[in-house]
Amino acid sequence: MLQNVQDVASQAAQSAQVLGFKYLGAALCMAIGGMVPAFGEAQIVIRAIDGMARQPEIEGALFRAMIVGQSILETIAIYCLIVSIILLLVV
Amino acid sequence: MDEHLGERLVLNVPLGSLSLRFNLMTMIASWVVMVLLIVLALSLRRGLRQTIEEKPNRAQAMVDAVVGLLQSQLGAGFSSERLARELLPFVGTLFLFVLFLNWISVVPYLGGAPTEDLNIPISLAVMVLVMSHVVASRVHGVGGHVRGLFKPFAFLFPLHLLAELGRTTSHSFRLFGNLFGGGILIAVFSTALVPLVVPVGLNLFFGLFAGLIQAFVFAMLAVIYINNLVNE
Repeated sequence: MLQNVQDVASQAAQSAQVLGFKYLGAALCMAIGGMVPAFGEAQIVIRAIDGMARQPEIEGALFRAMIVGQSILETIAIYCLIVSIILLLVV
Repeated sequence: MDEHLGERLVLNVPLGSLSLRFNLMTMIASWVVMVLLIVLALSLRRGLRQTIEEKPNRAQAMVDAVVGLLQSQLGAGFSSERLARELLPFVGTLFLFVLFLNWISVVPYLGGAPTEDLNIPISLAVMVLVMSHVVASRVHGVGGHVRGLFKPFAFLFPLHLLAELGRTTSHSFRLFGNLFGGGILIAVFSTALVPLVVPVGLNLFFGLFAGLIQAFVFAMLAVIYINNLVNE
């Protein structure tokens, strides 16, 4: 009887721990995965504004390239979002 | 609130051992957008019937502005004038469709944007994939296009296939993830944190502004993918 109760208690503790790690993993994934692409996107904006200030005549082309490059970098953050959503809702 | 985030109204049609699942709100919203676009196009076309000496009426001016914007932004991404003329209707329609699908998320009781459902971005991305291969085969001939997949070395063919797969995946997940993230943020803010004024601003930003940017990015990437495959 006592053995049984101990088993159940340890199982509950273990599942609570697993749940905690699940939330921790999702939060860390989103935090780091949002931070790193943000730095990359900032670099893109800095260089694009540099170029625009130097050559205002190609501002349109630079803006288009900037938006596309940013969106490609943003995919990394989106993948992190999907991984954390899978961690939270599916696993 | 958490229980309702991933919950959707699904119509289940059993079909032998398999079953077809229809996401009802997505289908309704996308059909509404389709009807809206078709009616808009037909009514605007009727407004265009005028002789060339007249002062342009409002419909003419609006269509001119929109088409000019599409030509200068999306059409400029194509490498040749002829390709741009041929594919601008396709890419422009893609842009307008995704744009209205994103913008319809600000209408209440429709369950968010239809693009928050992964099925729609994936189907649009697969459409772009098929279209890019069709256009490339028409430019180089089917044999030339297939031979192009084995260049520069024959053993790189699996890598080419993998690249196509990854490109389509990232193309669709980019649209889905951006819209889904915005939707979750709006849902959390409007139900749990500040249900009063803030959701209006969030809807403005994520629904209208980010929707416009994401629709433009989706169409622009379609242009780039088609262009790259044709020029390979």
